[in-house]
Amino acid sequence: METAIEFKNIKKSYGEKVVLEGFNLSIEKGEFITIIGSSGCGKTTALKMVNGLIHPTSGDIFVDGENIRNKNQTQLRRNIGYAIQGSVLFPHMTVEQNISYVPNLLNKRDKEKTKNAVSKWMKIVGLSEDLKHRYPSELSGGQQQRVGIARALAASPDILLMDEPFGAVDEITRRQLQAELKQIHEQTGITVLFVTHDISEALKLGTKVLVMNDGKIEQFAKPEDLLRSPATEFVKELVKKERRTCYLPEDQLSSCEFSGTSGKVSSFDAR
Amino acid sequence: MLQEMWFIFTDRIDFFLKLLLEHLEISLISILIAILFGGLVGILISEFQKTAKPTLGVINFLYTIPSISMLGFLIPFSGVGNATAIIALTVYALLPMVRNTHTGITNVDPAILEAAKGMGSTRTQILFKIKLPLAMPVIMSGIRNMVTMTIALAGIASFIGAGGLGVAIYRGITTNNTAMTMVGSLLIALLALIMDVLLGFIERRMNKRSVKAKKTNKVMAVAAVIVCLGIAGSVLINTQQKDTIQIATKPMTEQYVLGEMLDILIEQDTNLNVELTQGVGGGTSNIQPAMETGEFDIYPEYTGTGWNMVLKHDGLYTEDLFDELEKEYSEQFNMKWVGMYGFNNTYGLVVRREIAEKYNLKTYSDLKSAASNLTFGAEYDFFEREDGYDALCETYGLNFGKTMDLDIGLKYQAINQDKIDVMVIFTTDGQLSTSDVVVLEDDKQFYPSYICGNVIRAEVLEEYPELNTVLEKLNGLITDSNMAAMNYSVETENKEPRDVAEDFLRSHNLLQ
Repeated sequence: METAIEFKNIKKSYGEKVVLEGFNLSIEKGEFITIIGSSGCGKTTALKMVNGLIHPTSGDIFVDGENIRNKNQTQLRRNIGYAIQGSVLFPHMTVEQNISYVPNLLNKRDKEKTKNAVSKWMKIVGLSEDLKHRYPSELSGGQQQRVGIARALAASPDILLMDEPFGAVDEITRRQLQAELKQIHEQTGITVLFVTHDISEALKLGTKVLVMNDGKIEQFAKPEDLLRSPATEFVKELVKKERRTCYLPEDQLSSCEFSGTSGKVSSFDAR
Repeated sequence: MLQEMWFIFTDRIDFFLKLLLEHLEISLISILIAILFGGLVGILISEFQKTAKPTLGVINFLYTIPSISMLGFLIPFSGVGNATAIIALTVYALLPMVRNTHTGITNVDPAILEAAKGMGSTRTQILFKIKLPLAMPVIMSGIRNMVTMTIALAGIASFIGAGGLGVAIYRGITTNNTAMTMVGSLLIALLALIMDVLLGFIERRMNKRSVKAKKTNKVMAVAAVIVCLGIAGSVLINTQQKDTIQIATKPMTEQYVLGEMLDILIEQDTNLNVELTQGVGGGTSNIQPAMETGEFDIYPEYTGTGWNMVLKHDGLYTEDLFDELEKEYSEQFNMKWVGMYGFNNTYGLVVRREIAEKYNLKTYSDLKSAASNLTFGAEYDFFEREDGYDALCETYGLNFGKTMDLDIGLKYQAINQDKIDVMVIFTTDGQLSTSDVVVLEDDKQFYPSYICGNVIRAEVLEEYPELNTVLEKLNGLITDSNMAAMNYSVETENKEPRDVAEDFLRSHNLLQ
């Protein structure tokens, strides 16, 4: 498979404080990578390096095989979808204007194309057409998140970066949004980097999970591998509760097919 | 009072409307420059944060300069008139504009800015698509503040010979016409209020976000621009006129009357147009520099003042020196004295009758023993003049307990209200006869002669020789008592300077 994003020997420090060190990671096209770790572990830093919002102190990042140092940062960012915590919609723009923000940066002329893209993405994220002219303050939290996702995807980028996008919504809405995002990923084959601090979200959404602690990678593996064989104490501690969702005693865990200790983990996603 | 104000307003509606338009013009130009320039500076210091502190510091400092001294600073650079007023008003308007733009922009949620950046907006796109629209409410409130302030402040513009409603206020004060002052002030307040309501309306419209409201906004904006262009166009067309003589007068009642006489006679006897700037604040100290730069062509001046203040001679001026005075004016400034009116408006000292009796004061010398218990009042420039306060005190060995700066127009009020005990008067003061004061004798001949005549730039006289004929008609026309009577008509009987001037000219068969 082709490599979409590659981190090579990344180090990032603010003065004395080292945030990331010896960070090497290769992400294949079409993967849904969830990044999890305690706050301050460098997960957001790693994410923001992909679209050049943060520059590494040393090391290189390659997107589609090209070192992003040599790329026009603005062009780079326009081809990468970006959605961050809360919705951070532009409060002075309507839903339509928010979603068409990036397409408008890319091509000012083709209004028809932009309009179609807005309609298409509103439909995909489950927003009804009549919300088009609403302002963010007139939307519910869930609707705002949906607009945020639609906005990040409106220019059909190859890569989507998401920084705890569902952090501020209620549990029920979050489950819907997760399901929709998963579906979008499957339909479009887009490469997703998704930062979260919720391990069940990380396991549920990711095709691969990156566990970080203290600026270092603890483990980078498929969700079932993470559950089955945590590489470090840190990962073990992190997934402990997820292993026990069957609420069985330790010695009987293997008889539960959802526990992650059993051989079959295929149905994990369907939980 | 209200009735009086209504009467003067309806009676002189053209005058007030002209001032209102001028006021609006001066304020709006300043406001427009401040919005554009201040907005630009505000944006720049927000984009380059390091420059924000020093820039705001400088602007804050400028803001604290009292308006009167700001105008004083500017006169040597930009002369008297509208330009200086606009510069000063713009400087004051800058602070609210820059500060609000800066505050508005720097207070935009950084998360929103990062989102915009992360989505691939350039710096310019972030500024125009995100920062400015989000900062707009703060900027708008700054503009509203600034507009009200500028309109109010424009009232002082008349101090330096600019137009606007300040002219009515200042003239009202100078000629003891309270109703005129009140009407001028009320119109300024009204103008500020209307502008604020208008801006409030614009602000509300801008906050309306429905598609329909936005369409209406566009239509209204286009209509407003067309109306503005129309007004500007008609103003420009109106200003294309025949040759204009610029006449200035000092802020004194008799000078208002003399100014009107010059205006009437020149427009009657020649093809020239007269632009009369009445009551330039600061008198000679502001008019003379403007004469030198050619902004003014003619103004009535007094020989003694010319000798001491303009030519800066120390000695006492007597009319024997008139030839020397003319010669030096001609050599130094290329100006001439033409049309000597005949009256001598010299200084005199008066004390309140009560004080005069208490200390038995009859001459200036008598003041010596009592001076330390007395308050001395005079208009601003008396304290600065070569032949003013210091020279007076030195000659008579006086040492007053307190001194007070007064406006020429308010000093009789001050002495009648016992605020001051001794004050300087002019021998042609109309209010002199109605005040309970004793005129003291100048026993050491301290005061020089102050014969009134017109100072005119020689170039103007060469270009329009017909002016000579007009000005010579004025030779010896007015006596001291004529002048005092005319001053009394204006100050106490509340007649218009122009009417008084017309009556006088008519009675001397100079009106056609």
